[in-house]
Amino acid sequence: MGLLDRLSGLLGLKKKEVHVLCLGLDNSGKTTIINKLKPTNAQSQDIVPTIGFSIEKFKSSSLSFTVFDMSGQGRYRNLWEHYYKEGQAIIFVIDSSDRLRMVVAKEELDTLLNHPDIKHRRIPILFFANKMDLRDAVTSVKVSQLLCLENIKDKPWHICASDAIRGEGLQEGVDWLQDQIQAVKT
Amino acid sequence: MAAASGSDCGRRRPESNDAGSKWLDAHYDPVANIHTFSSCLALADLHGDGEFKLVVGDFGPGGQQPRLKVLKGPTVLTESPLPALPAAAATFLMEQHEPRTPALALASGPCVYVYKNLRPYFKFSLPPLPPNPLEQDVWNQAKEDRIDPLTLKEMLEDIREKAEVPLSVQSLKFLQLELSEMEAFVNQHKSKPIKRQTVITTMTTVKKNLADEDAISCLVLGTESKELLVLDPEAFTVLSKMSLPSVPVFLEVSGQFDVEFRLAAACRNGTVYILRRDSKHPKYCIELSAQPVGLVRVHKILVVGTTQDSLQGFTHKGKKLWTVPMPAAILTMSLLEQRSRGLHAVMVGLANGEVRIYHDKALLNVIRAPDAVTSLCFGRYGREDNTLIMTTRGGSLIIKILKRTAVFAEWGGEAGPPPAQSTKLNMPRKTRLYVDQTLREREAGTAMHRAFQTDLYLLRLRAARAYVQALESSLNPVSASAREPLKLHAVVQGLGPTFKLTLHLQNTSTARPIVGLLVCFLYNEGLYALPCAFFKVPLLVPGLNYPLETFVESLSDKGSSDVIKVLVLREGQSAPLLSAHINMPASEGLAAA
Ligand SMILES: Nc1nc2c(ncn2[C@@H]2O[C@H](COP(=O)(O)OP(=O)(O)O)[C@@H](O)[C@H]2O)c(=O)[nH]1
Ligand SMILES: [Mg+2]
Repeated sequence: MGLLDRLSGLLGLKKKEVHVLCLGLDNSGKTTIINKLKPTNAQSQDIVPTIGFSIEKFKSSSLSFTVFDMSGQGRYRNLWEHYYKEGQAIIFVIDSSDRLRMVVAKEELDTLLNHPDIKHRRIPILFFANKMDLRDAVTSVKVSQLLCLENIKDKPWHICASDAIRGEGLQEGVDWLQDQIQAVKT
Repeated sequence: MAAASGSDCGRRRPESNDAGSKWLDAHYDPVANIHTFSSCLALADLHGDGEFKLVVGDFGPGGQQPRLKVLKGPTVLTESPLPALPAAAATFLMEQHEPRTPALALASGPCVYVYKNLRPYFKFSLPPLPPNPLEQDVWNQAKEDRIDPLTLKEMLEDIREKAEVPLSVQSLKFLQLELSEMEAFVNQHKSKPIKRQTVITTMTTVKKNLADEDAISCLVLGTESKELLVLDPEAFTVLSKMSLPSVPVFLEVSGQFDVEFRLAAACRNGTVYILRRDSKHPKYCIELSAQPVGLVRVHKILVVGTTQDSLQGFTHKGKKLWTVPMPAAILTMSLLEQRSRGLHAVMVGLANGEVRIYHDKALLNVIRAPDAVTSLCFGRYGREDNTLIMTTRGGSLIIKILKRTAVFAEWGGEAGPPPAQSTKLNMPRKTRLYVDQTLREREAGTAMHRAFQTDLYLLRLRAARAYVQALESSLNPVSASAREPLKLHAVVQGLGPTFKLTLHLQNTSTARPIVGLLVCFLYNEGLYALPCAFFKVPLLVPGLNYPLETFVESLSDKGSSDVIKVLVLREGQSAPLLSAHINMPASEGLAAA
């Protein structure tokens, strides 16, 4: 079963494909989340290029996902930024237990939101405050405070606490995202 | 504890996001209660889970409760007391087996405590030193009750003062006791043999036989007994022993122990000694003009900080390359290695709270900490490369993360040539004339120079002659004669045909008035008419300006003008004291009429 079945089913009525970018620092839980979301029939390809950063892509009937780690020191930045243009929705994953790197996540988010291919577009952003099951995890309210999400005025956004391993909190987020995409499409 | 990230909330635009800083404030805990130096900090993936931990050999407040702390992110993971103050902390790979988690070594007192997976694994103690036979003899006498504690104390003090070999810890402790405690101490210790042990002052690691990042390493120890020891990473036996002329306090090693290595030891005598694999004694030595306070190796350059507030660079053969003065005393130094950009720089913690980052002589960046930084460590922490850990004198912990987009501009600091030096000057093109001239100058340089000099001398001669002539004929408006120092200047007013001529006469002597002067006008009587061409000057008081007025009538109806000469004379002398030529203006009044 896949949580996206309903979402892709609805969208499947229309012929067009929706590209979703799933971003976040390395180790935040993106792969785990996407694996939970994947419909059973989705074809997954794992691309590990030699240049030093990895992109995962998979497609369901009407959704295509591009997942990548926002890691590294800028040498490959323009490579992943290349994908911004085609993204129509963003899932941004945060490791709520990594207090030290919350500033790095914020910095990456700020850079993302200011990218010319993102800045002036009203694309929905779904935040997963992931790993909420861990002892050192901070609440999703605290995460949104630390990332200053209240300053995002020109894009619809939503934050959910999640535990990607047990799949908790993912449905809520996906439901929200689905509403947003539909609102744009109709 | 307060994470500093909340502070810049409300400013999302990156251009205003304190654009100047290259650092993200990840954590600041003003009451972390960590008191340590750079040598007692180490970063390593101690659990092999990809999450790098921070090892701290903590002195405790006031150097009281020394502790070994291991931090994960902003929080202390484990904490255990140490028997003595820590001297250095290091992490290293001990063996080839999987999983390749690094071991932790902490030098404290005469021992190195080795931990694996944060569990005590091995304790290495420095080999004991031969005791002083005199000291042993005295204790033997005490053992046989031949001397009382007071005599023992006197004899030990005597030995302490005279002998070359220092006393054992047991004797030193005894000498500190009060009279009442001595008896018990002697009874307790008199039958034990005297043991003399030195302590570890510094520690580092050197790769054993491979240069790889994850190759096994040996521990290198410096001791208070002026020795360097290299330990086997598995058996902890002493592989090599080197002696130094002084006590080493900072060590830097490059190369591999089994192949070839270069070891630099900064010592308490203000000298850095450089040893090689084949040398049991120093091969080169760098004499500093002050005590070393830090030693960092950047590739082949040794950077030494001294108590004279300067940073000095030396080659590995001891040749001095440069010196950079610091604005305050240096407290600590450490290496900054930004792998992704291949940058190696030196971080210097100063007493004024600044942390300066230098690439050779060039200042790359300055971080201002709320308090003087006493320890610095840069590397991978948690899951983030390029994390900077600082602790301050007051015991606070500051963690900063280098922005992933940050680039240190080589000449961004105040060092380096001024920008004007690189702007291109608008030089004229080399013309044919220029080239010809240059060729001529090259060929006939001497002759040209001589001709020029001749002309210059002639010019000077002519000027001097004219001056002398003017003086002789008093043709100048300033009289320099000692008796009548005078100054004269004249003003002509009016459009004509009637002009007003005013002579300003001034006695420039300091005290003496001048009497008996006459003024005489010489002029062409066909052109001008003056009511009085010759008159007496009143007494001239020193310093005052005397305006003497007279009218001049222009008689010419063609508007032509001439010179009127003014002579200032002394009664009874024919040569004038001074003279002035007044160029009369043409009469415009007539032309207009
Ligand atoms: N406890 C806990 N661990 C998680 C959660 N999500 C992911 N992980 C673990 O975090 C690690 C990194 O996850 P991964 O999906 O590879 O992160 P990615 O680098 O963002 O793709 C893995 O060991 C996951 O098992 C979660 O919600 N809770
Ligand atoms: Mg992944």
